Amino acid sequence: MAGTSTRKLLDASFTGFGIMSIVLMAASLLVILAPIFSKGISAYVFRATIEHRKAQLDLFEEGSEKRLHEELGRVAAARKPVYDMLSAFDAELASKPAAERRPYTAELKELKAELRALLGPIPGESKRMLIRDHYGQTRWDRALVEQHRVLFAEQYDYSDPTKPGIKIWVPRADRFKGTALEPLFPYVRDHLGDMLLPRWTFYRGFLTQSSRDAHFFGGIWPEVLGTFYLTIGAMLFAVPIGVISAIYLVEYARENALIRLLRSCISTLAGVPSIVFGLFGLAFFINAAHVSNSKSVLAGSLTLGLLILPTVIRSSEEALRAVPATYKQAALSLGASTWKSITSVILPAALPGILTGIVISMGRAAGETAPIIFTAAVSVGKPLSLLQTLTQPTPALPWNIYNLCTEHEAVDEIRHVQYGMVFTLVVLVLILNLSAIILRARLSKKLRT
Amino acid sequence: MSEARSLMLSKKASRRRRLASLAGQSLLFLVTSLSSVAVLFIFIFIAKDAIPFFELRGFREFFSSTQWYPSHRPPEFGALAIFFGSAIVTLGAALVAVPLGVLAAVCLSDVLPFNLRQIAKPVIEMLAAIPSVAYGFFALVVLAPLLQTRGGGALSLVLWAVGVPVSILLVIVLGEMAGERFPEKVRRPVTFLAMALLGVAALAGLLRAASFLNDLKIASGANALNASLILGIMALPTVVSVSEDALQAVGRDLRMASYALGATRAETLLRVIIPAAVSGIAAAVILGIMRAIGETMVVWMASGNAAQIPQPWFNFLEPIRTLTATIAGDMGEADQVTGSARYHVLFAMALCLLVFSFLCNVASEWIVARTRRRMA
Repeated sequence: MAGTSTRKLLDASFTGFGIMSIVLMAASLLVILAPIFSKGISAYVFRATIEHRKAQLDLFEEGSEKRLHEELGRVAAARKPVYDMLSAFDAELASKPAAERRPYTAELKELKAELRALLGPIPGESKRMLIRDHYGQTRWDRALVEQHRVLFAEQYDYSDPTKPGIKIWVPRADRFKGTALEPLFPYVRDHLGDMLLPRWTFYRGFLTQSSRDAHFFGGIWPEVLGTFYLTIGAMLFAVPIGVISAIYLVEYARENALIRLLRSCISTLAGVPSIVFGLFGLAFFINAAHVSNSKSVLAGSLTLGLLILPTVIRSSEEALRAVPATYKQAALSLGASTWKSITSVILPAALPGILTGIVISMGRAAGETAPIIFTAAVSVGKPLSLLQTLTQPTPALPWNIYNLCTEHEAVDEIRHVQYGMVFTLVVLVLILNLSAIILRARLSKKLRT
Repeated sequence: MSEARSLMLSKKASRRRRLASLAGQSLLFLVTSLSSVAVLFIFIFIAKDAIPFFELRGFREFFSSTQWYPSHRPPEFGALAIFFGSAIVTLGAALVAVPLGVLAAVCLSDVLPFNLRQIAKPVIEMLAAIPSVAYGFFALVVLAPLLQTRGGGALSLVLWAVGVPVSILLVIVLGEMAGERFPEKVRRPVTFLAMALLGVAALAGLLRAASFLNDLKIASGANALNASLILGIMALPTVVSVSEDALQAVGRDLRMASYALGATRAETLLRVIIPAAVSGIAAAVILGIMRAIGETMVVWMASGNAAQIPQPWFNFLEPIRTLTATIAGDMGEADQVTGSARYHVLFAMALCLLVFSFLCNVASEWIVARTRRRMA
């Protein structure tokens, strides 16, 4: 047996490790939520450039046209030197022999592409197909990244043959030394603010607008609406069945083999992996039962409803069991039938507890991805009307988060949209859970008094 | 008498009432049995689409080969590496979630005062509430680049954070235990000597391990380590809340008896309470494992999706591929060829997952039932 001091030390360190584990858990929550919140907010609140305001007016008819015109005038004046230098350089090249012209052509093409990405189409050029080519950078943070690409060219350094090439940035100004373009670079470096007029903006449209051109413009309304439909649909299916099952299990069922089997079926259902639910939804609801011809909100809702059914049953059961037996006895002694005592006494008393469970499972349904991949979700789509939900698939926040950060053509350029989506989803789910926590706190206060 | 009679129902009315109640009850029973029907249907419909695969290709290749080329001609469907991937991330998740989760549960049930517990509970609830795709997004966009660029440094930092307190504790306890074997006179110097020796050894070991970790080059941040870490965090709430319930269920009597015998809190917990609650904790671990192996989005986004068995097998820094990620990822392409082996193989995988989670469920229920019987 160890000495007393060792035993005391062991005791203290055991406590220490226990507390450390809880601190670690809280820290991991913080570490995960911090980037999602800090960068997610920047989808809503950011320094928007004139290009953002222009796109908003063109695509969504948001904002004041008069003010935009006034600003566009100022911007055009600030940009004029850049375009003047470009045309001066074009003239300079045209006067030179072909041999001297050649080294510049590729460089100039690259520079023009970067300038187009920064400021939008160069005046006098023909219009391009994609909406994203009609505008420059809409966000100041992205504009600074793009400015860097205008000022510096990306190159790989292969001087050490044993290692893979190292990325280095070479100033473009060096390449155009002694030409009409040389002053362009310091000008772009110093006058970017005048050319783009950044202003802190609260972009409400991120929530309420549809996306244009693969999320380069606009917001996430179809995704939010799709998530809303799927969640409500799942609740419509799971809540009645779940609550009725809980009532039966608590108030009517006797402990026998059949009920035990029922209970273990419910816990088996709770343990089925979510992706298996997705496959089942595809194989049963769509391929066998034909609730719709292909993916639809209805099929997805049914699948999600099945997924959260065990959670609803369990939490409702708990809430019903928490109602004191005296309530039921009092009701029965007054001559009420069992059913009457349930509907008029027990259910109202258990309602806050049942609601808590429902709200938490709503959060779960809103965030689940795997079950809707094969049953309801598409990458791109319009917001649906209520009737269309029976037959049409929909974009939904969880699926589009996955889709945008793995399969989008320009993953890095629309990071803010991805963060904004994750932020919106997490806030939605946390609000639901927070209201459940508050509901429960009020309930326990009421029971105590 | 006549007044009392009017209060009672007539024979006919009473029968009607009983019939109505019976009908109502059976209706309720029917609704309740819907979830059992659902379980049955899930098994039937997954098996129905899984069996054609085994009819077409047999069992041997699927379970014993690591050659996974479903789109080649001729296709190969060796899923051993994928089974291995699922197993290894689940193992990694358990390594994270079980020690942390059980410690946290012990702390919540026996150590923390009520007020702090009220703060810790919502933290666990929030961890459980965050959608899996948000975890996956964090793993892919934040954690993976971090591991790739500064992985070695981060790992050695973790080693220091965990290693230093653990080794200080070990050194002191082992030193004291060594000292106690000697007579009273020389006990102090021997204890100090033992502590010094052990301390130097521990420091040397830590330095060596840290420099090894520091020099590690991680080729890709999307690997088994990344997925395991995040899955472990996701499984934590389940492990914590179920084991806390088990610890609470042990009751005050055992605790009071142990304290009355002079045991410290750590001794009470380690030698009395945890052994008494061990079946509940086992159920918690099983549920946590089920959560980890059934999770799709995190492993799909953060595990690298390479169908290979790492060399050596415990190399967590290699990308791997899991069953769930394969189902999610391949269905898009396989969907167009409904009826082919390529479509059915995904159902075969789902069937394996389903059977595994069913067995886990049976096991945890059996454990809980056995304990309840023994307690009663």
